[in-house]
Amino acid sequence: MATAPGITEKFLEETLAHEQTSLWGDAWRRLRRNRLALASSVFLLLLVLVAIVAQFWTPYSYYAQGLGPIYQGPTPQHWLGLDQSGRDILSRIMLGAQISLKVGIGTQLVVIVVGVLVGLVAGFYRGFVDTVNSTVINIFYGIPDLLVALTLVLLLGRSLGIIIFAIAFTQWMNMARLVRGQTLSLREREFVEAARSGGAKASKIIFRHILPNALGPMIVQATIGVPMAILFEAFLSFLGLGVPPPTPSWGAMAADGFHAIRIAPHIVLAPAIALSLTLMAFNFLGDGLRDALDPRQKR
Amino acid sequence: MFTRGALLYIGQRLVLIVFTAVAVSSIVFLGVHRLPGDALLNERRPDPAAEAALLHYYHLDLPLPDQYVRYVTGLLHGDLGESYVNRGVQITPLLLREARVSAEVGTAAIVFTVGLGVLLGVIAAVRQNTWVDYLATTTSVIGYSMPNFVIASLLFLLFGVALYSWTGGALYYNSGWTGTYGTIDQILVPGFALGFPYASIVARLTRASMLEVIRQDYVRTARAKGLTSRIVIVRHALRNALIPVVTILGPLVIGIVTGSVVIENIFGIPGLGKEFANSILNRDYNIVIGLFTFYAIIIALANLLVDLLYTVIDPRIRY
Amino acid sequence: MSQPVLQIKDLKTQFFTDDGVVQAVDGVSFDLHSGETLGIVGESGCGKSVTALSILRLVQEPGRIVAGQILFKGDDLVQMSDEEVREIRGKDIAMIFQDPLSSLNPVLTVGFQIEEAIEAHGKVPGKTALNRAVALLKQVRIPAAESRVQDYPHQFSGGMRQRAMIAMGLANSPSILIADEPTTALDVTVQAQILELLRDLNRDLKTAIILITHNMGVVASLCTRVLVMYAGRVVEQGPVEQIFKDPQHPYTWSLLQSIPRLDSDRHDRLLSIEGFPPDLIRPPRGCRFNPRCQFKIDRCLHDDPPLMNVGPDQDAACWVTMRRALSSNGERRG
Repeated sequence: MATAPGITEKFLEETLAHEQTSLWGDAWRRLRRNRLALASSVFLLLLVLVAIVAQFWTPYSYYAQGLGPIYQGPTPQHWLGLDQSGRDILSRIMLGAQISLKVGIGTQLVVIVVGVLVGLVAGFYRGFVDTVNSTVINIFYGIPDLLVALTLVLLLGRSLGIIIFAIAFTQWMNMARLVRGQTLSLREREFVEAARSGGAKASKIIFRHILPNALGPMIVQATIGVPMAILFEAFLSFLGLGVPPPTPSWGAMAADGFHAIRIAPHIVLAPAIALSLTLMAFNFLGDGLRDALDPRQKR
Repeated sequence: MFTRGALLYIGQRLVLIVFTAVAVSSIVFLGVHRLPGDALLNERRPDPAAEAALLHYYHLDLPLPDQYVRYVTGLLHGDLGESYVNRGVQITPLLLREARVSAEVGTAAIVFTVGLGVLLGVIAAVRQNTWVDYLATTTSVIGYSMPNFVIASLLFLLFGVALYSWTGGALYYNSGWTGTYGTIDQILVPGFALGFPYASIVARLTRASMLEVIRQDYVRTARAKGLTSRIVIVRHALRNALIPVVTILGPLVIGIVTGSVVIENIFGIPGLGKEFANSILNRDYNIVIGLFTFYAIIIALANLLVDLLYTVIDPRIRY
Repeated sequence: MSQPVLQIKDLKTQFFTDDGVVQAVDGVSFDLHSGETLGIVGESGCGKSVTALSILRLVQEPGRIVAGQILFKGDDLVQMSDEEVREIRGKDIAMIFQDPLSSLNPVLTVGFQIEEAIEAHGKVPGKTALNRAVALLKQVRIPAAESRVQDYPHQFSGGMRQRAMIAMGLANSPSILIADEPTTALDVTVQAQILELLRDLNRDLKTAIILITHNMGVVASLCTRVLVMYAGRVVEQGPVEQIFKDPQHPYTWSLLQSIPRLDSDRHDRLLSIEGFPPDLIRPPRGCRFNPRCQFKIDRCLHDDPPLMNVGPDQDAACWVTMRRALSSNGERRG
């Protein structure tokens, strides 16, 4: 198998590498100009900071009850007030950030690993894996994700790990479908043909050529998946199927405070606003990434 | 529209729906019954004799394949069995009743979603890059970033607290819905909370779609013919721009179904969503299986309607 | 000479983009007489389509007409209100476009789209509009017009779609029909049919036609006068026969030279015009064609030539002109 004259593996690599750096460079520039995305990134970094800090220190213990009159509104000692059991809301919010972030990012990690693997194999080799993958996707297409997640949590138990698994279970299919599509189209491109005819091994082709080019949409999908996962977790805990108490989760906090919304709205509002801001930040960032990585899209 | 080909297609789809219902039921059935033993009976451990009688009553003492066959046979006759938690409550009639309730709120949500969403999307597209556009776009991101219970909470605060003197705190859906249709103002608030996140998504999609369509050649032709701006936008641009929006109706229904689990809970609406949450918490597995089946059927029917809707909007599509 | 039905005076249309101001149309002037067939020819990006769109004020953001007059029967279209222009569109001046598949709305029937054109300009009972639509389809030689009128654009063949577009354009018996590359998206045999149709319609209905194209052959088969555009300007204009026989601007000459001929030597290289299309944001200094011109002299690099009379009814914007360029080289055309 002779290569096309002059086309060595090295040449291919360098050409591709150049193609990619200019793509990333452009994208980075575009992203930097998007003020909403920047503000969101700052917010999220702060959030991560808070979550890390909360591991070691919170103003008060998150489970200590009776720190003051129950339902008390914000005061200088308790910036966000006390909940229905007299616990300090600010401390609980800080810890709740941990849960949301762990779930959000944890699920996406699982989704990426599983979805990408399945998608790559299904798209590149077609055949059995592809058929099974498509069948599974079609079966679950018509079933509401949340309900599947709810049932899984119900059946398997309420722990952080299981929640992450349950939510990831509903999301990996979208990622797999995306990656499969990318793989399918990329595999017909000339540079893959050239690499193949140059005798490159399949795995090398996949990882060196196809994967980097599919990276863009994958990142966007994952960034959009984070707020969806956080939202799911919020739903789960709102309905009482989240991480077991006393670990605070924003959704559960909102659910707990609901009955008292008229007299003590701060109990619901604090986690509600925290959730909304976090989700907004991720969504704006995801939008910004998508605009930055897709040069054809004009605002 | 109802050509022979179309009827054949509809027939095929309906058969497919039956298969789907059976498939989904089976998966959930098997998933649930593989659980270690008799958590099915809700941890109430009466004495062994009563327990045996209970197991026998629900046919749980039969080997699994037999149970499965019983179940599927029942399913094909429309019988979804009996509740585990509440003896004697037949599931199918229960779910049908609740489905009507959910349908009302859900329909309100969909009408709201599509109506408001499309309107906002068109306005944003026609006034692209003006403050109207930026406002609409940012609002829509905020819209779908807020969990629906957050929106519900805000509505509660707004109507129940801030405007108390005006509304008297009324926004609950009365359980006495035997008049079939709850009054409009009772459905409005939960419908809004349920639909708002999706209205935002529809708005974004409509905007993007309109922007693309407006650049199309046939819109230029329409202008060149001397048609008024309004006709160009509505008759030429919008009609084509709605095609991708129709595509999203399927996932929209799924989203509304999902959201209803939380919203019905909050507002005390006796619909499928509330039933689902309750059954999950009470471990009433029979109802859970029945609900999944119901949902699968509803969603499949919705998808069928959407596919039929395509032919109305886009004459290039024919079955 | 009767008063021209359309007079373009020094039209300038520009696009205000992030990269700069694109001078798409930079001082174009010409007249169109009643019943005349005028061809506007030039390469992609020379401004011919934008000129046409400007006439009907169809240029959209970020483009704008910034200067000039477009006098239709004495009234300046540039100064008119949107509503007044809207009334003229499709009624007095009609325009048809290049790709009839994308230029017709896919979700509306052809008949409806023709009726729409009629109803846009006056209350007309439905039946009358329908009958007129059928009559128009017949006029453009579409068979089985009565049933075809209910079909959708995707059910027509390419050539028939273009005919339907022409029918739509003629719905209100306009004085002027602007055809923007009407045959470019069609194959050659169909092209010939469409051109023949346009010729006949021009003869029978006395509708003036402005034909925009990059194909000199198309101009030759339909038009009596031709305008050659380059870089947003008119570089030559005159009667078709004269221009074809005796082109004076080097660009026109190159265009004609580059048409392959059946009687040329097989081993002759195909001539193409060297160089790249001009940058319309920062156009070249002096004559805009000078980077690609074989015959340029020193003056061409500094002075921008205006249109100057080079023959009876023929103008060209060139300091050199072909007759001087060729005789000085001692070359004979052949």
